[in-house]
Amino acid sequence: MPGTKPSSFASLHDVELCSHAAAGEGRAFGELARRHGSAVRYLLRRMGAQAAEADDVAQDAFLTAFQRITEFRGEGTFAAWVKRIAARHYLRRLQRDRRLSELAAEGGEEEIEIAAGDADHRIDLDEALKALSKAERLCVSLCFGAGLSHGEAAEALNLPLGTVKSHVKRGLDKLRARLAPTEGAVLEGRRGNG
Amino acid sequence: MADDFERRLERLFSEAPELPDCAAFAQGVERKLNRGWQTRRWLIGCAGVTGGVVGASQLVYSNLYQRIETAEDSARALSAGLSQVAPSAEMVSALSGGFGVWVAVGLAVLLLGFALSRVIEEI
Repeated sequence: MPGTKPSSFASLHDVELCSHAAAGEGRAFGELARRHGSAVRYLLRRMGAQAAEADDVAQDAFLTAFQRITEFRGEGTFAAWVKRIAARHYLRRLQRDRRLSELAAEGGEEEIEIAAGDADHRIDLDEALKALSKAERLCVSLCFGAGLSHGEAAEALNLPLGTVKSHVKRGLDKLRARLAPTEGAVLEGRRGNG
Repeated sequence: MADDFERRLERLFSEAPELPDCAAFAQGVERKLNRGWQTRRWLIGCAGVTGGVVGASQLVYSNLYQRIETAEDSARALSAGLSQVAPSAEMVSALSGGFGVWVAVGLAVLLLGFALSRVIEEI
């Protein structure tokens, strides 16, 4: 493993790159950051972070992942593991800035008007998420983007489990209405369009 | 149990497009990693040198020189005795001069620096 040329890292599997990174090979970890950086940054944006803040948190998350690389056993995917770290980093930042309690106190009735998904307008996940309240968006992103269970999300958000479940349910209902209208709308995840 | 829509939603979340600056982002992460390592190395090095200097000064100013001078007399007596037994006792007499003290101090500095570096690295 040691002595692998940096140029050959691109052909290695994530688990192999993690082994190199665990041996202190920063370039191997750089390849992991290149592969999964966008997914992590997107998740943070979907959780409600501004682009610059998302990038900042994502970098911190990758640095934490590097420090804890030996804890990654390859049971799940590396991307999922880093996403969980990033989500928790973002929540800690919200907590530190006292923004988390505001979100927690927020009711689920907030409704942001966006154009309804219809067949003429291809609607993507990011647009659909704008229809959710901040709390709903956060809960849905944690559970479906970062892969946390309802219980884990409740613990991370310091909210009662029932509250998280209702945020998720309301969020899902809104997304279902936007992303999977009953007739003819095109379900289109934003793919490769930056 | 997750329905079709929930599975589809999970897939949509995982299908994030590649951002145009993903290479720059990765380089930023690498740069931060390298900076972290360099800072750590410098800190360990500085701590080792400081520890070594403090340790050496403590050795020098703690009457060690006088004690070694006293020991020198004993060593001379010993070497005189040994020279009668074995003529190759120059080693003992060479180390018994002032030079021996500085060798000992130098070794002590190295040893302390190394020990301190190891401790900090473990922390």
